[in-house]
Amino acid sequence: MHFVTGGAYNGKSNWVKRFYDLESGVLWLSGYQQDEPQRIDFQGKTVVWQGLDGWIQEDAKKMAADAIREKWQEIIAGWRIWEKERNDHRFIVIGSDLSKGIVPMEATNRRWRDACGWVYQDVASLSSRVDIIWYGINQRIK
Amino acid sequence: MEKARLCFITGGVRSGKSRFAERKALEYALLTEGNLHYLACGRVSDAEMGERILRHQKDRQTSPIAWQTSEYATDITRVGAKVDSNSIILLDCLTTLLDNELFGSGLPLEANFLHSIQAKIIGAIDELRQQSGCLIIVSNEVAQEPIFQKQLLHIYGRMLGTIHQTIVGEADEAYLVESGIPLKMKG
Repeated sequence: MHFVTGGAYNGKSNWVKRFYDLESGVLWLSGYQQDEPQRIDFQGKTVVWQGLDGWIQEDAKKMAADAIREKWQEIIAGWRIWEKERNDHRFIVIGSDLSKGIVPMEATNRRWRDACGWVYQDVASLSSRVDIIWYGINQRIK
Repeated sequence: MEKARLCFITGGVRSGKSRFAERKALEYALLTEGNLHYLACGRVSDAEMGERILRHQKDRQTSPIAWQTSEYATDITRVGAKVDSNSIILLDCLTTLLDNELFGSGLPLEANFLHSIQAKIIGAIDELRQQSGCLIIVSNEVAQEPIFQKQLLHIYGRMLGTIHQTIVGEADEAYLVESGIPLKMKG
């Protein structure tokens, strides 16, 4: 698993496309546009989640932060099984960093931010590689 | 014609990015026997802003090479008439320029207008690089906090982020300044 993070609008998705030279055989799931990723029997090689923060934002409207964390631990565990089925399977998770502003006024937004932070920690600890993207430039931190 | 050297410097509020940019400009001027040109985009909106601008002016007065200052809140290509291929231009700062271009006219923030402003700023940077020896651009970090769709912060953040990506992509050097310490990200 490869976790790619950094601030919003820093070119994270473009970096992933460039870095992996992604064209075909990719299942690209967007947290800003689609329902959350259901485990499917995907035949291609690469799965990209773009905008994990988007899915978590939806969860934060109805769930507590620790429940969100547990939920994503389970979803990720399922996809890790897919990743390990074959040597050439790649699982890439992209999430915007929301952690460096002032504490949000609304409880829902605080929950969103908290849950993101925790889920990101879990994703990073399971990942073999972690990069922070700064205006298109990567800094590998793991 | 060859384009001027491009250096991008960003950081948080009061991170010391302007001071570092001035030092960088001076180093380059000494190296190339160039002249220093300060391009200020800020408007004096209150006493605190005035005091801040004065402090930076004072810093520049103690510089071993004199600074020439131009103040353009918008349409920065106007500085082109005052510079030459030996000039080191320090643009301070991109976020203020974007603010002025976006909100100065009072036009509604519709897609066409936003695209035109983005193209205008990128085009201006390109033009200044063809008329000078070195362009140093100071900007602010985009907030890393929850951003909500359709909000002003979203539009603004996306624009600034896109412009930053373009500049960093073309830059010879790029720095992120944290608490006065410059981190070299490119170059």
